[in-house]
Amino acid sequence: MANGTVTSSLTLGEIESALVGRLRSGGNGYYVAVLFSGVLMLVGAIAALYATVGGHHTVYNVTREIPWGVLISGYIFFVVTATGLCLVSSIGHIFGSKTFMPIAQRAVFLSIVTLMSGFFVILAEIKVPIRMLIYNIISPNFTSSIWWMGTLYGLALCLMIFEFIFLIIGRHRPAIACGFVALLAEIAAISNLAGVFGLLNGREFWHGPYLPIFFIASAMMVGASATIFFQILAQKVNGEPFTPMMRTCLAGARKVAILMICIILFFTIWRTVSTLVGMPNGQYVGVMAMLTGPYALSFWGGEILMALLAPLVLYLLSRGTNIRMMLIASGLMLIGAFFMRYNMVIVGQIIPVYIDLHVTGFTELLEYFPSANEIIITLGGFGLTGFLFLLGEKIFNGHKVEDH
Amino acid sequence: MKKLLLGTILLGLALMPAFADDSGGDIHYDKPVIGVLFSHASHVEEAGLDCDNCHDDLFPMEARAVQEEQDFNMLALSEGRYCGACHDGEMAFASSTRCASCHEGAIGFRRALGLNDSGDRH
Amino acid sequence: MIRNLIKNKQQNEGVEALSSDERRHFLKMGLKLTGVFAGGSLLSLASVVEKVYATPGQFNDKYPYKPHYSMIMHLDYCVDCERCIEACAVTNDIPKYGFRTNILERQIPDGIDQQVEFMPVLCNHCNVAQCARVCPTAATYKNEQNGIVMMDVKKCIGCLSCQLACPYNARYFNEEKWAVDKCNFCFDTRLSKGEDLTACAEACPAGVRIFGDISDQRSRVYREVHQVSRTVWVLRPEAGTKPNVFYTRG
Repeated sequence: MANGTVTSSLTLGEIESALVGRLRSGGNGYYVAVLFSGVLMLVGAIAALYATVGGHHTVYNVTREIPWGVLISGYIFFVVTATGLCLVSSIGHIFGSKTFMPIAQRAVFLSIVTLMSGFFVILAEIKVPIRMLIYNIISPNFTSSIWWMGTLYGLALCLMIFEFIFLIIGRHRPAIACGFVALLAEIAAISNLAGVFGLLNGREFWHGPYLPIFFIASAMMVGASATIFFQILAQKVNGEPFTPMMRTCLAGARKVAILMICIILFFTIWRTVSTLVGMPNGQYVGVMAMLTGPYALSFWGGEILMALLAPLVLYLLSRGTNIRMMLIASGLMLIGAFFMRYNMVIVGQIIPVYIDLHVTGFTELLEYFPSANEIIITLGGFGLTGFLFLLGEKIFNGHKVEDH
Repeated sequence: MKKLLLGTILLGLALMPAFADDSGGDIHYDKPVIGVLFSHASHVEEAGLDCDNCHDDLFPMEARAVQEEQDFNMLALSEGRYCGACHDGEMAFASSTRCASCHEGAIGFRRALGLNDSGDRH
Repeated sequence: MIRNLIKNKQQNEGVEALSSDERRHFLKMGLKLTGVFAGGSLLSLASVVEKVYATPGQFNDKYPYKPHYSMIMHLDYCVDCERCIEACAVTNDIPKYGFRTNILERQIPDGIDQQVEFMPVLCNHCNVAQCARVCPTAATYKNEQNGIVMMDVKKCIGCLSCQLACPYNARYFNEEKWAVDKCNFCFDTRLSKGEDLTACAEACPAGVRIFGDISDQRSRVYREVHQVSRTVWVLRPEAGTKPNVFYTRG
């Protein structure tokens, strides 16, 4: 960690000039990207502030029956990706697999960044965030999955920040310790996130033990793809060639992604088949809404094609060497994964709780489409991720890791 | 000849709603409780009653005028007044049974008059 | 190894191999299942009490609160005059966009005697309240004395997970209070001030909503729920929340 040891012996002024120098090293494309993501982030933040101050009901399309909209979907997308990145980075620097060493620090950094994007989006969804800061601490409810999820992700964020600091100042033992606890916290957090939905007896579409397993597998899948995606982008940003070590690393992440895509595909197929065969109440209509109903495009186009089939084919065709194909595959996966979360969150709610009573207004699927404000805030989350990623590449000098 | 026949049929079709209106149409009461439906169609066409079976002894001709009467309520019906004159359990089902066959409710009332949930017209 | 497995499998095949105890158990299970499916959401009295509260023999635990507030709805008397909704709104200061209690309409085109039925709904004050379980800050909770599911407005962060968890659509976000709002059987507005009835029960002109303490054997709620000849059911029993609002006809 030459970079780290040098920094620690520098004065503030020297650090500043080093940072300015690094930031100035970017090309025009880099500045355009920074500007674009920065603007996206700022506009999202303004939209979120406007909604929180003016009242969500004036600008959001969520309703009494569908209280969780695209923002929760976005939150889940970001934190599941964060968990995935944390899992993938752990393979390298906690469990010592040489293949994943070169990406470990970047993956930790990106995990922090995506987690922060998740928090940004959910802050816009929580109606009274000030009370959350107070009563989450002084009035905790230990039976609440949401409480555990929030607390554990908060803990994981702190631990990963420490881990990252230890990594850049070159102290590997505490970094590994922090990383290991952060990993446990993230796994516990994501399973509680799945529990938020999976433990709801009254919502058959989500209820059951399969969601936590699905979430972990899904996190690995998206985490591996996010690693590939950002790794390739970083090489372009930094104008560096792909070293053999880096190629081995990308090929390794590709293998993880392929395996996980197969698991998720298997899962999705069997879930669909079991619903079609058994037609369980409250679940069947939801699955049909995705197969042939109003969510067919989002399911077949977003979830199946963009998140699973297209990346699978492209990853296979790339043979782990075709960089362009892998970039497209991982990019498609990230977009598709967002639709995956969206379908999971929204379709679970469009099934009215009273559907079996055959009462007027609740016999058919409810409707939801995000408002412009909600979409802008969600895009703001993506802007935040992009902005911090781009800055991080320059500030931390391309997350260079020496072989230990 | 054909044209004449066709014309007669068309005229008849055109006049049908007018005839239906002549039999009084649907009356939606909103007092003493909102949402009670009296259907002339089902009483005149299906049950075969004549106008003078009810008018003017039981009900004045003017629609909904009767709901301004103080005693226009379920107690009066059970004592054989108003609807209760027939709906006594012998001539027609008793007024103390099958509540929702006449009570369309606020939901039915709003739907029939094209009002939204807060009572304003769409 | 594999041969053994096949052997075992052959031994287990067929009913002859079952002991009589096992067979009886299996048949019982079959009967129970048929009972549940044949009845659909309708359950006989015995099964409601058993399902909703506790195992028989745990009578004291059946109604764990004192008073144990409960309501039984006489569905067929409801004419959707919505005086209950109005009384609730006036008593509890409910905004126009929300409701604590509502009337649902079920259309039955092939009904012989009538083609519509109305169904009043409100918070079921479940014994196993999902909303109280999921609330991260315990802003919604079961009152330890009377079992009413209450809101502590100042603790509500507005995550709306209670709205998601409720199988009865009984909650909404009140923009004026900056908190989720729900029925509390008029505890703050009436019961704590010495009134016996909720606003909705008092306003009902048809005696649809019978409110009372189901732990008191003299109460009408108790007597109706425990009347063997009466069919009593609850909404969405499969959600496992053990609700305290019962439904009946007649």
